[in-house]
Amino acid sequence: MIIKTQFQIPFYQYLNQDGELSSSAPELKDTDIIKYFRIMTLTNIFDKKAIALQRTGKMGTYAPINGQEAVGAAIGMTLDKDDVFVPYYRDYAALYQRKVRLADILTFWGGDETSMTYSFQAHDFPFCVPIASQCLHAAGIAQALKYKKTSNIALCTIGDGGTSEGDFYEALNVAGAWNLPIVFVILNNKWAISVPLEQQTHCETLAQKAIAAGFQGVQVDGNDVFALHHVLQEAISKARDNLGPTLIEAITYRLSDHTTADDASRYQPKNQTEEAKKFTPLERLKTYLLQENILTNNDINQITNDCTQEIEEQVNLYLGRKLPTIEQAFDFHFATLPDYLIEQRAEALEEFYRAND
Amino acid sequence: MTIFYLPDLGEGLPEAEINEWFIKEGDTVKKDQPLVAMETAKAVVDVPAPQDGTITKLYGQVGAIIKTGKPLVEFNHASSSIVGQLEEHPDIALQHINLTNRQPELPKATFTVKKLALEYNVNLNDIVGSGQFGVITANDVLSHAKKTDCSRETLIGVRRQMMKTMQLSHQEIVPVSIFDEADINHWQKPYDITVRLIQAICYACKQEPGLNAWFKHEEKQIFNHVNLGLAVDSNEGLFVPVIKNANHLDALRLRQAINSSKQGVLERSLPPENFKDATIILSNFGRFAGKFANPIIVPPMVAIIAVGRVFDAVVAYQGEIAVHTKVPISLTFDHRPLTGGEATRFLKALIEHLEQ
Amino acid sequence: MINLIEAVNQALAYELQHDETVIVFGEDVGLNGGVFRATDTLQARFGEKRVFDTPLAESMIAGLAIGMASQGLRPVAEFQFMGFMYPGLNQIISHAARFRNRTRGRITCPLVYRAPMGGGIRAPEHHCESTEALFAHIPGLQVVIPSSPARAYGLLLAAIRNPDPVIFLEPSRIYRLYREEVADDGQALELGKCFQLKSGHDISLISFGASITETLQAANQLHEEGISCEVIDVASIKPLDFATIAHSITKTGRCVIIHEAAKTCGMAAEIMAQIMENCFAMLKAPVQRVTGYDTVMPYFQLEKFYIPSVTRIKSAVYYTMEIK
Repeated sequence: MIIKTQFQIPFYQYLNQDGELSSSAPELKDTDIIKYFRIMTLTNIFDKKAIALQRTGKMGTYAPINGQEAVGAAIGMTLDKDDVFVPYYRDYAALYQRKVRLADILTFWGGDETSMTYSFQAHDFPFCVPIASQCLHAAGIAQALKYKKTSNIALCTIGDGGTSEGDFYEALNVAGAWNLPIVFVILNNKWAISVPLEQQTHCETLAQKAIAAGFQGVQVDGNDVFALHHVLQEAISKARDNLGPTLIEAITYRLSDHTTADDASRYQPKNQTEEAKKFTPLERLKTYLLQENILTNNDINQITNDCTQEIEEQVNLYLGRKLPTIEQAFDFHFATLPDYLIEQRAEALEEFYRAND
Repeated sequence: MTIFYLPDLGEGLPEAEINEWFIKEGDTVKKDQPLVAMETAKAVVDVPAPQDGTITKLYGQVGAIIKTGKPLVEFNHASSSIVGQLEEHPDIALQHINLTNRQPELPKATFTVKKLALEYNVNLNDIVGSGQFGVITANDVLSHAKKTDCSRETLIGVRRQMMKTMQLSHQEIVPVSIFDEADINHWQKPYDITVRLIQAICYACKQEPGLNAWFKHEEKQIFNHVNLGLAVDSNEGLFVPVIKNANHLDALRLRQAINSSKQGVLERSLPPENFKDATIILSNFGRFAGKFANPIIVPPMVAIIAVGRVFDAVVAYQGEIAVHTKVPISLTFDHRPLTGGEATRFLKALIEHLEQ
Repeated sequence: MINLIEAVNQALAYELQHDETVIVFGEDVGLNGGVFRATDTLQARFGEKRVFDTPLAESMIAGLAIGMASQGLRPVAEFQFMGFMYPGLNQIISHAARFRNRTRGRITCPLVYRAPMGGGIRAPEHHCESTEALFAHIPGLQVVIPSSPARAYGLLLAAIRNPDPVIFLEPSRIYRLYREEVADDGQALELGKCFQLKSGHDISLISFGASITETLQAANQLHEEGISCEVIDVASIKPLDFATIAHSITKTGRCVIIHEAAKTCGMAAEIMAQIMENCFAMLKAPVQRVTGYDTVMPYFQLEKFYIPSVTRIKSAVYYTMEIK
């Protein structure tokens, strides 16, 4: 009997839970660190605002991001603008940096497809609700990018629960088999609605699922922007250099309900959530910034106020938006309206405009 | 290309000699068709084709030794796939007729507009829609209705049914009409003429039951009950609701039945049952104009009574000139099962009953 | 003269030649040329980057096509058999059918999903599916089923060139059944149009796919018996060219619809509904259907009793003609 193969899964952390930066941490410019802080602050305030909108009946069901702001922030900072981002449904920090308006994100949860027109970044993919199906899209995109001989890559995100889906495995497999220019990022927030990670899989790490597809998986502290930045940068350039895919497992904690239609207090142990509240990415980075005198409390207040104001503007944009009209359900069905929809469209318009008279 | 390897011809024989080819390269063969006779140590065995195909190569001449499991014959076009067998069998003409004149698309309109078109007797096929994507709008219908000096209407529903019934009657029945008048001058006002007519008809049916009958497939079916079909006119067409067992109803109930029939037709609320099984029909057509008529018998019935406009006429009464109120009666009967005698006796009974 | 599978091959080759954004992939389509040889020689002619094999994963095949289409390619993805499309239904229904709509035209899916369909080839179970009605029901999908080599060529070209998703189902029973001249001129037929195969005035026979074979046979026999049948090949299940069907019904007043797929909620039900809505007054008799039974398609020992036969079709016609 001989051992055919073994594997190792590294874990990266540079900024620990107490906000202390390890000496082996790679360089990050102060301006970038402040940018990280700003984006996470914005995301955090936006998140609270979005929940408030839902609770007051001004928006539909919404998926919060509280406590998980770092991963999206790092994706936004490291991905090239011409790369293709394939999100799932919690990627606000990344989308924001890729020029999707916060108002558009609210419009998505507010029940209007106009949100996914992404006025500025035409090639990113929209939100994806059927779990893990976006991974195969990302694989197809990566294949096309490679075929067209571009130097761009595809990056897709997925939750810990999603890694149990067939589509996830199929996507990893083909990414490995075809050496695709792709990076998979798992937002492991430990919960798939009410199912904790321990019940989701027997694997010690989610990152090791990459081994089964023949490429490298790495684990990273998902609340540590330094580690995230480093790991993402490496994976992205590796893919760009045609050296193959990487699976990144970013470990964080879901300090919220799964969506506003959920009640996490029914299943999340209180002591666990209380512990997790102490080590959020925002808290950690704030501690570091203050300790290193990169920012003062005044600076932080200024940033908070700026963010609050920016969000207010976006919320007003959202609240004052033009509501969709029923033509849109028909006019974007196919490139040209098919014959069998003409009469149906007329019926729909008749009722819609009568009701809106 | 598929290569067919020499199968084991019996109990693990290692090889066989080609004895005779039944086919040559280029031949098309069918599955199971014998390809070659192979001589083994034990016998000469015919080897059949494993599939349909064309032979592209023979792996030996007569006399050559082929080892079991080695190539024997090569086929063109594996007509079997990884699973299943595909047949080859040219048979049917499949070309389509090139329709250079594609059919115009069906007119497009919402239910509201379609209803409007029916109300205004507008054929949607005549309109070019001005709405988006060529949809016909309400305005299109209304302006078209104003413009046209004729309206076209394909007969549907009740009118279509009437058309069919009239055609059928004309095809089958041999009608004869007799006309007469009843003197109702002595009737006390107010009088319910329809009720009296129905009562008179029921009396006449008792006297001459042959007219209260069905005739079909050369067989006459005479009824004891009178299911009186009452012709009722409406916007949508001619309806004939049936008052069942009219001969058993008193005047009050007859009037009720007449009223509910008319109301039901107006409201289109009568179930199909109410239009079935009439044995004789009364058509009170004279509301507007007309004295005598030869109305159409509805098969399988054999008679119909039509009553025209009540009128005042100068008559000879007991040798003197007088002005009496009269009602004109027309009876049309099917002369195939009925004689003129039966019909006139029926009419006489009817009039007598009215004049009593 | 070429048969239907060769016509498919010819169309794929034409598009690969003239449109460099066209990519062909699936299981065993490369070196092997596809289990039915639909993609025979294509990899040798156009290279591994344009014609290639995938790992064995149908959801993956469906999802990859979507990702590729979003980047300006025109993928033509093959599922080895219709029965194996099912793992891909989520991608097809939840995504391919919806991307244009849900991004308001920003991301579109100009792709073709091809698969052999139908029974009658003595294949094992699951290889004989006729569930085109599933796809026809989904808003955002187009469904095409050719019945002859010429129409397979023209319609596949149209499908590949269409800016929106097309499910192109090839009836395997007629893959090699006939040969005809099909000029390799790149002329596409129109999607969303029926084809009149035979002109007649007594009754309209509406069918598609492999059942066209039995329908034409029945029509020919009925002609000898004095019943003049008009035969319409639906071809595009969705979008359905109802105008041509309506025109035929106006002419004949009688109709029988034939398909191999199971009866309940099959395409005949949809066509009948539209005939009801639009041609009620024209009908001399109620429309009849001759279809597969509402049972699982039997294994091949019994499959010919499932597939609508010439006898069953004629039976339905005799009955319909009897109604006065």
